[in-house]
Amino acid sequence: MNANAPSSSSGGAGSPDVNAPRRNSKRPKYSRFTQQELPACKPILTPKWVISAFMLVTVVFIPIGLVSLFASRDVVEIVDRYDNACIPPGTKSQKVQHIQDARSNKTCVRSLTVTKRMKQPIYVYYQLDNYYQNHRRYVKSRSDQQLRNRGDENDTSSCDPENEANGMSIVPCGLIAWSLFNDTFSFSTRNNSQLNVNKREISWKSDRDEKFGSDVFPKNFQNGSLIGGGRLNESIPLSQQEDLIVWMRTAALPTFRKLYGKIEVDIEEGETINVVLENRYNTYSFSGKKKLVLSTTSWLGGKNNFIGIAYLSVGGLCFLLASTFTIIYLVKPRHLGDPTYLSWNRNPGGH
Amino acid sequence: MSSHHSSSTTEINSDEFKTVELQPQKQNSSSSHRGISSNTWRANSVKEINVIELGSKSGKRYGSSRKGASSSMSMSRREISDEDSRLVYINDPVKSNESFEFAGNSIRTSKYSVLTFLPRNLFEQFHRVAYVYFLIIAILNQLPQLAVFGRFASILPLSMVLLVTAIKDGYEDWRRHRSDRIENNRMSSVLVNNTFEQKKWKDIKVGEIIKFSANETIPCDIVLLSTSDPTGVAYIQTINLDGESNLKTRYAKQETLRMNEIENISGVIKCEKPNRNIYGFLGNMEIDQKQLSLGPSNIVLRGCVLKNTSWAVGVVVYTGMETKVMLNNSGAQSKRSHLEARMNKEIICLSFFLVLLCSIVSILAGVWLKRHRDELDIMPFYRRKDYSGEDVDNYNYYGWGWEIFFTFLMSVIVFQIMIPIALYISMELVRLGQAFFMIRDENMYDESTDSRFQCRALNVNEDLGQIKYVFSDKTGTLTENKMEFQYASIFGVDYSGERTEFYGEQGGYYAQVDGVILRPKMKVHVDGELVRLLKSESDTNIGKQIYDFFLALASCNTIVPILVDTSDPVEKLIDYQGESPDEQALVYAAAAHGFMLIERTSGHIVIDILGDRQRFNVLGMHEFDSERKRMSVILGCPDSTVKVFVKGADTTMFNVIDRSKNTDEVTATERHLHAYSSVGLRTLVMGMKNLSSHEFEQWRSSYEAATNALMGRARLLRKVAINLETNLSIVGASGIEDKLQQGVPEAIESLRMANMKVWVLTGDKQETAISIGYSSKLLTSTMTQIVINNNSTESCRRSLEEALIISRKAITSGANASLLALIIDGTSLVYILDSELEEQLFELASKCAVVLCCRVAPLQKAGIVMLIKKRTDELTLAIGDGANDVSMIQKADVGIGISGQEGRQAVMASDFAMAQFRFLVPLLLVHGHWNYQRMAYLILYNFYRNALFVVVLFWYALYTAFTLASAVNEWNSVLYSVIYTSIPTIVVGILDKDLSRTSLLKYPQLYTSGQKQESYNSKLFWLTIADTLWQSVVAFFIPLLAYRKSDIDGPSIGDLWTLAVVFLVNLHLAMDVVTWIWIIHASIWGSIVATIICVIIIDVIPILPGYWAIFHLASDGKFWFCLIGIIIASLIPRFVVKTLVQHYRPSDIQIAGEAEKVTNSTESRNAEIEMNQPQR
Repeated sequence: MNANAPSSSSGGAGSPDVNAPRRNSKRPKYSRFTQQELPACKPILTPKWVISAFMLVTVVFIPIGLVSLFASRDVVEIVDRYDNACIPPGTKSQKVQHIQDARSNKTCVRSLTVTKRMKQPIYVYYQLDNYYQNHRRYVKSRSDQQLRNRGDENDTSSCDPENEANGMSIVPCGLIAWSLFNDTFSFSTRNNSQLNVNKREISWKSDRDEKFGSDVFPKNFQNGSLIGGGRLNESIPLSQQEDLIVWMRTAALPTFRKLYGKIEVDIEEGETINVVLENRYNTYSFSGKKKLVLSTTSWLGGKNNFIGIAYLSVGGLCFLLASTFTIIYLVKPRHLGDPTYLSWNRNPGGH
Repeated sequence: MSSHHSSSTTEINSDEFKTVELQPQKQNSSSSHRGISSNTWRANSVKEINVIELGSKSGKRYGSSRKGASSSMSMSRREISDEDSRLVYINDPVKSNESFEFAGNSIRTSKYSVLTFLPRNLFEQFHRVAYVYFLIIAILNQLPQLAVFGRFASILPLSMVLLVTAIKDGYEDWRRHRSDRIENNRMSSVLVNNTFEQKKWKDIKVGEIIKFSANETIPCDIVLLSTSDPTGVAYIQTINLDGESNLKTRYAKQETLRMNEIENISGVIKCEKPNRNIYGFLGNMEIDQKQLSLGPSNIVLRGCVLKNTSWAVGVVVYTGMETKVMLNNSGAQSKRSHLEARMNKEIICLSFFLVLLCSIVSILAGVWLKRHRDELDIMPFYRRKDYSGEDVDNYNYYGWGWEIFFTFLMSVIVFQIMIPIALYISMELVRLGQAFFMIRDENMYDESTDSRFQCRALNVNEDLGQIKYVFSDKTGTLTENKMEFQYASIFGVDYSGERTEFYGEQGGYYAQVDGVILRPKMKVHVDGELVRLLKSESDTNIGKQIYDFFLALASCNTIVPILVDTSDPVEKLIDYQGESPDEQALVYAAAAHGFMLIERTSGHIVIDILGDRQRFNVLGMHEFDSERKRMSVILGCPDSTVKVFVKGADTTMFNVIDRSKNTDEVTATERHLHAYSSVGLRTLVMGMKNLSSHEFEQWRSSYEAATNALMGRARLLRKVAINLETNLSIVGASGIEDKLQQGVPEAIESLRMANMKVWVLTGDKQETAISIGYSSKLLTSTMTQIVINNNSTESCRRSLEEALIISRKAITSGANASLLALIIDGTSLVYILDSELEEQLFELASKCAVVLCCRVAPLQKAGIVMLIKKRTDELTLAIGDGANDVSMIQKADVGIGISGQEGRQAVMASDFAMAQFRFLVPLLLVHGHWNYQRMAYLILYNFYRNALFVVVLFWYALYTAFTLASAVNEWNSVLYSVIYTSIPTIVVGILDKDLSRTSLLKYPQLYTSGQKQESYNSKLFWLTIADTLWQSVVAFFIPLLAYRKSDIDGPSIGDLWTLAVVFLVNLHLAMDVVTWIWIIHASIWGSIVATIICVIIIDVIPILPGYWAIFHLASDGKFWFCLIGIIIASLIPRFVVKTLVQHYRPSDIQIAGEAEKVTNSTESRNAEIEMNQPQR
């Protein structure tokens, strides 16, 4: 039947007229792109690759983990919770009353023992617990325009409920500035020599240079009926109000530290540091905790074993996996790309 | 040179031809002196029968249902009531339009105008649920209580999507506007004030009279009044309407024909309201107080082209948007892909998950507020009281219940991308890209028709990778539908021995007229013995029988010969145009044997018989109808005898052939027929008888009575035909080969190996279907065939039960079930479909590897598709080329139209169109596989990508007193799904290949992974979700613990989370990419770089709280350790699982991929190119 193939094709209805030669054929132009034949690399998971990948992670992670752990171990950190100790005992409302009373004596003395030699610079932090600086109502209550530009002084629409007091705009406005932390600390050693706290350059340089205007001065600040925290010297521009700048970089988590200053001398092991602090800031009304932290630093920041432990665990796990896979591949090897493994070759007929 | 040579060998006396006029339109003189005038009856008869022919459309297949015919029958008898009709006053557009304002003839395919664009486009866009979700979220965000994001940031994603879509729609519409304008400004000649004037198409009105000449396109739907042909025939080509290139005949009414002065015509046409049935028309014309009925053969539709008729005049009845072609101009109906339907289920899961997250947050927020209710007033970070005014008020606090409610809504806003809206847009873009590659695939380009693959619907690309059932039409799909005459059985003698003699390109029979050589356009084989017998035995009985046979072939048809110029001025080609390819083949065969039909008008035909030009009057014709399954022609021969030739399917012909006359010959013919059909030929039987003048008069009077009847004309005519077609003597039978398309057996073999079930649904008879089944390798000799041919419900039930027993036995006996083939015919299906037997048929059919359905009607084809669709989740594909396949194409999950011989109706209804059946293999096995793998991965990956980010945000919400303040900058949140992670998924979704084309074609079995839903199922979904949770925990808690009790600020840790998640998501994708080409490299690494740049840009804006955060962060080693730690720790479980699965339970796809790699490295690349070659 197929012997007489050259039949109708010579003059079929579909063939074009002789007089009208085919002008532009619709044949797709060949390119490796349109035919999906671009040169490609197809990595496959060979045992060699899998084991090397795990080994690589092991080799990289374990040293990093160890180094981080050592770095963290070298950091000396003294934490002192003082909110309860620095207030006369009593009920919560009594405490709140005490802290809100402008005339009560809020000076408090704490002594800290240095268990290990602390090399300078020693960072002084205050730590607040259970303080939601990342609360939606709180983080939005600020005006970055106003902080930056003198002309935008009245740009306080985002600062509710601390946008104006006595009919005038507050500079800096908003809840964040209003609740400025205002406990102060001064340090001395056992032999009563004063430890100077350097409070310069504790904030980000970028904030001082760009974010807080050097011609913007505090105005009408803490003049409302409810005082939230620290006051500001109205003759110093915002760009030099470093405590404010630090405070206004709102913390990510409800437990956070903020840099208070730096002590730029070494402190020997066994030394006792006396801290005289003014316990003014009210965390009592919402059961927040206040802590004072003195910490040296390593190349990896403060004391935190987590990175080290995490890296060691991941590195160890990968070593384990590498060994397991080595065993698996040795005990039950599979020839890659062997067509006999194809399902229809293993049990022919049954799809 | 060679033509001279051949003309001398065929010895034709050419003098006879010098006087003949060959242009059919110049027949005025010759038709005036015809012996028996038959104009009137003929015009009428054809009209009625045409309804049936066109309405059922199955007529030409010589095997069809009764349904089509009877439904159109009843339609033609329907009366038009007044309220359903329109009145058209001929040549009086003012009056026609005064009571009803008919639409003008300007068309508008464009959707929008400048004014309506914005509202209408937006309205259409918001029909998608996804966009409405977007909008609601954006609106919620505008409420001051809920303002999570800034105004601009919140509407950015939605407006971007809307903008892109609007630009795309606008551009498409502009193009439509342009083509409308061109169309509306075309010119036509219209009768104005008794002269024909040129008028723009858009100004044509209902009631006007238009004149158009040959090769002009008709501007609106018109009723023919007169044509250049004295009998009122006009030939039209409907290629723009239904794509059929052959000529169709339309008739003007006799009453209007006679009017010499067309401008004096006046009358009223009462016709149907505009409707979209292009094969139906019903109306009356009142002229000179005479009622004339109008049918579909009297109307010419917009878009048709007048051919072979020098002019025609008609009155406009439907214009512009009311024309039938415009009413039919709706796009393909949209289908939804299987994968998308499944995905929507999982999206519902995700929305439950979203609600869960939001509930957790809002409940915990409620608890927190309750516990701290006494402290809220002056709490520095809450400050419920506002002391700034005169009175101390609550500030932004609406009571405990409301706060919880607001928290819930806010969390919906924050977590909104949990529902992957961008996925819908990504999927559309990916499908667009996949379509781009499918259209441009060289392997699906057909040289002979110069046609590419077409994607008509963009919703079902990925379904191509999961097809389980393939329903195929036979004629034109498996076969070429280019019929070729092969065998003849003449008066009981089989002429099939010496049939290889073939006239070459320059040879072939030709006739000479006026020095012009006429040659059939198509060369066919001739039987040398027949040629010899025709020459030598012209006076013997055998010669006469052969003469009658070829006369029957040349005359008993509706073929119109058309002369085509060639480059040689003295040579013309005769192109036989007709609706039935079988008839074409027969006429070409007759011509090749020396019986060349060279002229046809409505009253006579001219046949050049072995160089002798003879003229036969066509006294009457009973056209084919699907009930009789035969046609007959009554010829007045030059020797003034009257002969009736009848041609039809063997089943009906042997009932009307008088067996007693030539018993031996009849049985011999039956034997030959059986032999022909068993080699796959389509057979037709010819019979004839001579009419005595008495018989002729008897027939003529009843024929006239029938044609003049007002009611049931078609039925009466059929009765006349049946009365005439009796006591025939056998003339012969023909075997026509419908050649298999190239590559069909190989394609079917591949589909079968891919575990697809191929069902062939054909209108052909069983023997033909079975033989095609063998030649296409669908059936093999080792198969057990179960044949079901029954005539009643009871017998069907019995055969089904028996068949089921056989099939069960076959399975239990251990023999392979795939060796069962079911062959069932349309009559049995009538009793089975839509009855309780369906269930049994399904059970039986699902056990069979092959199912052949013969003699099925178009609606039954759809019924069979539904039989499967209703009972399984497996996907169905229907492929066909003709109008009779439309219903099946629309019903199946994927419909494919073959853009070939038989018109464009199937293509118009299809989702994809291609030129050859064999392209199914690259389409399904390669593109379908890729599309499915890519889309399945895209969906899972998008779920993961969005959920990861949301869950990280959720964890953080637990550390913000459940207030949903986000550490991540709002711009980073918005850009996350717009820029940071969107492009790689789309690129991978378009370009990644799990396997090369070569492997996919080498192992068709790989296709089964799609059928088994290996790349997208609920197990994978839940695994993905679990993986997401793990990764989110790692990504969130590593930074949290590393920066615990430190002075880290919100924006800094937010940047860390953003970068970590973006890196993670992109590296996760990189881990799953199989084929790395430079575009994928660029998109993945580019996205990471783009993210870093965006984060930096956001952090150098001084008025944002996060100013300079990224620089502070990155100057610290801890940041880098966190980032690396997150990426490694997150991806370890996925990597381990992947490696273990690949080692212990490698999928076929993976092994084939490895094999590619191994062979590539060992063998040279040439091997692969060689393997590719056969597919090109």
